[in-house]
Formats: sequence, structure tokens, C-alpha cells
Amino acid sequence: MITLRGLTKRFGATTAVDDLTVDVTPGRVTGFLGPNGAGKSTTMRMILGLDRPTAGRALVAGRAYRELRHPLHTVGALLDAGAIHPARSGRAHLLATARSNGIPARRVEEVLGLVGLDDRAAAKPGRALSLGMGQRLGIAGALLGDPPVLLFDEPVNGLDPDGVRWIRQLTRSLAAQGRTVLVSSHLMSEMQQTADHLVVIGRGRLITDAPTAEVIAGSSAASVRVRSPRPGDLTALAERLSADAATVTVDGPDALTVTGLTAERVGDLAHELGVRLHELTPVTASLEQAFMALTDGSVEYAAGRTSPTPHRIEAR
Amino acid sequence: MSAQTRTADPRTADRPAPPTTGPLAGAVAAEWTKLWSVRSTWWTMLAAVLLTAVTNLQLAIYAVNANTNDDPADDPGTVTVGSVVIDSLELTQYAVLALGLLAMTAEFGTGTLRTTLRCTPSRGRVLLAKAAVTGAVTYALGLLLGGVGALVAAVVLGEWGEAPLGGTARDVAASAAYLALVGVLALGLGAVLRSPVLTVIVLLALLMIVPLSLQEPGITALTRIADGFPGVAGAHFLAGDTDPYPPVVGLLLLAGWTAAALVAARAALRHRDA
Repeated sequence: MITLRGLTKRFGATTAVDDLTVDVTPGRVTGFLGPNGAGKSTTMRMILGLDRPTAGRALVAGRAYRELRHPLHTVGALLDAGAIHPARSGRAHLLATARSNGIPARRVEEVLGLVGLDDRAAAKPGRALSLGMGQRLGIAGALLGDPPVLLFDEPVNGLDPDGVRWIRQLTRSLAAQGRTVLVSSHLMSEMQQTADHLVVIGRGRLITDAPTAEVIAGSSAASVRVRSPRPGDLTALAERLSADAATVTVDGPDALTVTGLTAERVGDLAHELGVRLHELTPVTASLEQAFMALTDGSVEYAAGRTSPTPHRIEAR
Repeated sequence: MSAQTRTADPRTADRPAPPTTGPLAGAVAAEWTKLWSVRSTWWTMLAAVLLTAVTNLQLAIYAVNANTNDDPADDPGTVTVGSVVIDSLELTQYAVLALGLLAMTAEFGTGTLRTTLRCTPSRGRVLLAKAAVTGAVTYALGLLLGGVGALVAAVVLGEWGEAPLGGTARDVAASAAYLALVGVLALGLGAVLRSPVLTVIVLLALLMIVPLSLQEPGITALTRIADGFPGVAGAHFLAGDTDPYPPVVGLLLLAGWTAAALVAARAALRHRDA
């Protein structure tokens, strides 16, 4: 369990993390999403006692990280994977890490096997490690103490497709064992496949904290496609839908996209007006679309986004 | 999250036993492992041994020349090999304090400090572990260097050298203590200043440049201030001076500088984001 209470971090005039209150619970993979500069890494560093919060608290298993005597037995973390001395071998890096928390040396060999680093790779100095090998080494370090809480910052960074699949299975199996698993990523499609629950932040503020399925379903980007062979009827339907607080996009003479109403409601209204329909399809938004809708306005450097559909009838 | 709710899994069936060692012992073991797993440690030690041999050779040749040249005014008579070893420290200390300096500044430079602090969240404990390892290693290295220096000096000095066993052993042990304290001082300053170059500059200023500038005009008040600097205090301790204070006060002054550097380092690590 990771508990954040009013967690705030300011760097001068910039507020990196703003009054974040979240519980990350065990037994599931929690995705930590947000645009670049949203404060994900700063939040993780505060959980690990590396950055001092300006206000609020970050607790792991009910305690502040700095109070833990043998923290690797409670929390394992993959943080900027490049952080290994360029002249030190991966094995020596893990051995030093293990010894600091009284973990026997044979556990180093176990975790090396677990992440798929052979003797040759483990003997390489830090400077000779590829990004992918560095990630695997970092994950090996996180698993050393067999901790109930795991934090992975951008774990699939630099991994090949096999590695990405491996991370997905690893995080899922760690969660299935009842551990608390917090995974930050900017790859929303990856989170859609891995995370059971999402914590989305933008500009340091909590935007949503909900199950992944709910985030996608509840998104304003979820829509209904409507087709009718009679354009006149469709125009009447569009006006009626707009009056019902929906956003209607005209896709062509015979098609509409409706957001803000369920397919059932659209069907009922069409029936009331006597509009003949050839199609009534609920379109589920991808996590990516849901994410864009959620973080709209909180993106630090928004690119000039253009609407893909030129004809819009705004309801409100 | 608790052990009971976790299902058995072959991956982690062989769970590590809960640690029986204390966190400080663990931190010391980790620092020891880190020190010996980078080649720069060995190169630094080799450089220190070679520098010691060459410096003692040169100082011993000077002493022999002074006694055998045409100018009787500069004849020092016989000198102890211990005094040659002590004089050589003025230069060789920089090779030794590099060990303490790198133990800390390399952590900032490579980003491994974040791993170190995740393993050992207590900043004071990290510094204590690093100081223990650096102190022990630089003391042992100091004994080796003293032995090498004394051997070279004794051979080159020949009839102009004296090597009373007790006196030489005392000088070698004292120079090792000096090197250990300066090595840990470098460690503490490295934690405060983070940059290795800046740390070397500050150390040069503290050990040599500032006290030398204070002593230069020969004004008593300024010389007294210089006596408070770590290098000068260490030199008084090594020379066994009784003026301006007994040798033990020189040792305590130097130890005080080292302790102050560690206290400042702890404050810096506690209040700065890693």
C-alpha cells in the first residue's frame, strides 16, 4: 500500500506536485499516467524519500521511507535505469545493493536469472550496458529484497518487443501475488494492456483515480455512430440530440457521431422522431483518447491540435 | 500486501531471510563492495605508492646533497627516515585523499546516490559507513606508504640517515592517522560541494594556499590563525611540535575539521533533494 496525503512539491515558483491524495492498493497494477512534466517522477522520488515534500506525506506500508531500516525488503524501485557507476559491473552493483540490506549474495544470482541477464552481461561495466540491459538490471535490483511494494518508472523504455511483453507479464504476476505495483508510463496503449487501475495527473494535480475500464468507458471521447438513409431525418435528429445536451458531429450526408449520450438514448430519441436508422454503434474510446480528453488543458506544452472533423455542431 | 495474502510463486519461493545484520553493518559492507569494484581505486593506490617512492627518493637525495656539497651552512647532519616520510606527505596526501573524494563525488556524477539512499535512507548512516570504509582504507594505505617511504629514504640516505625502530614506527603510524583524517575530510567536503574539481580546489586552499598566505608576512596574529587550519595542525602533530600547542591538540584540531565536514555533509544530504 502506498498512501499519499496532500503531497505537494514546489520548486521555487513552480508547483510540480499539487496536493495529491491517492491510495495505491495491493493486488493490482496501478498505472501512473500523465503528460511530460506532470510530476510523475517527482512523486515517485518523494515516495522513495529522495525528494522532500514541500507539504503533505508519502507513506509506504504506513511508514515514511526514510524511517525504514531495511527498505529493500519493503519497497523495490526501478528509477532512472542509467544510474550505475560506468566502471562497476552489474553484478557488483547488485551485490553492493544486496549487502546494504543484509540480503545474501545468492539472491543476486537469482534475480539476474529472473531478469534474463547471463554471466557475460552481468560482468559488463555500467558504461557497456545497453538501455534494455540497464532496465533489466534495474528491475533485478528492485526484486532483490522480494518487496511487497514495487515502483517502476517507465519500465518498458528501451526494451525490445519481447522485453515489453516480459515486463507486462512480470508486473501482472507481481500484482497477482498480492503486491502493490505502481507503474508510470507515457505509453497509454501499454497501460491499457497492463494496468487494472489508473492514476492520471496533469500539472501535478490528480485528474482521475479509477479502474482502467471505467476511465475508458466514462470518457467524453466515447461516442455513438448513427447512420440513416434520409439526410433530412438526420438533420432533425441532430437538432433533437443537441437539445439533449449531446455533441453532434456531422460525418457526411448520412452519418453522425454523437458524444455525451448512450446508444440506448440515441436510439430512443430516433424512434420518437420516427427516424429510420441503418446503424447505431457505440464506439469505445481508446485509453489514449480518454487520456487526451482527461488531460486536455493540463498539458504543459500543448501542440496545436486540429479537429479531424470539420463539420461540428456544438450543443453548448 | 502482507505475506499472508501473497500466493506462492516459484519466482520468489526462495525468499531472502530477514536480515540479521544491522543497517549500519549493511551500509559498511555495501561501501566496501563499491570501493573495490571500480578499477580507479586500484589505480589511485598505485599512484599513491609510486608518488611516495619518488618523493621520498627526491627528499632523501636533497638531504644527502646538503651534507655533501661545498656549502657547510646548509648541512642538516643526519636526518631520521621518519622525518623524510612526514615531509613527503605534503605532496602524497593528494593521491590518498582522492579516495575519500571519489567515494562521494562519483555518487553525484553517476547518479548512484539515488540507489545508495534508497538502500540506506538515513543520510547520517550513509556518511558514517563511507567514513568508516574510507578511514580504514586510507589508514592501511598510509601504513603501506610509510613503509615504502621509510625503505626508500633509508636506502638513499645511507650514512646520513637514522632509523630508530620506535621513532620510525611512531612517525609511520602518525602519518597514516593524518592521511585517514584528511581522506575523510575530503569525503565530507565532497558531499557538500558535489563537484570533484571544486572539492580539490577547496582542499588545496584549506591544506596549503590559505595557511601559507597567512604565514607568509610573519605576523604573529596571522600565523596563529594559520595554526588552526587542518594541514598546519596536522603538520604540528606529525612533527611532534610543542609550540604553539602540544601534538595531541594538533591531532584534535585536524579531527575537528574532519568531524565538522561530516556534520555539514549530513545536513547537506538531508536537506537537498537527491
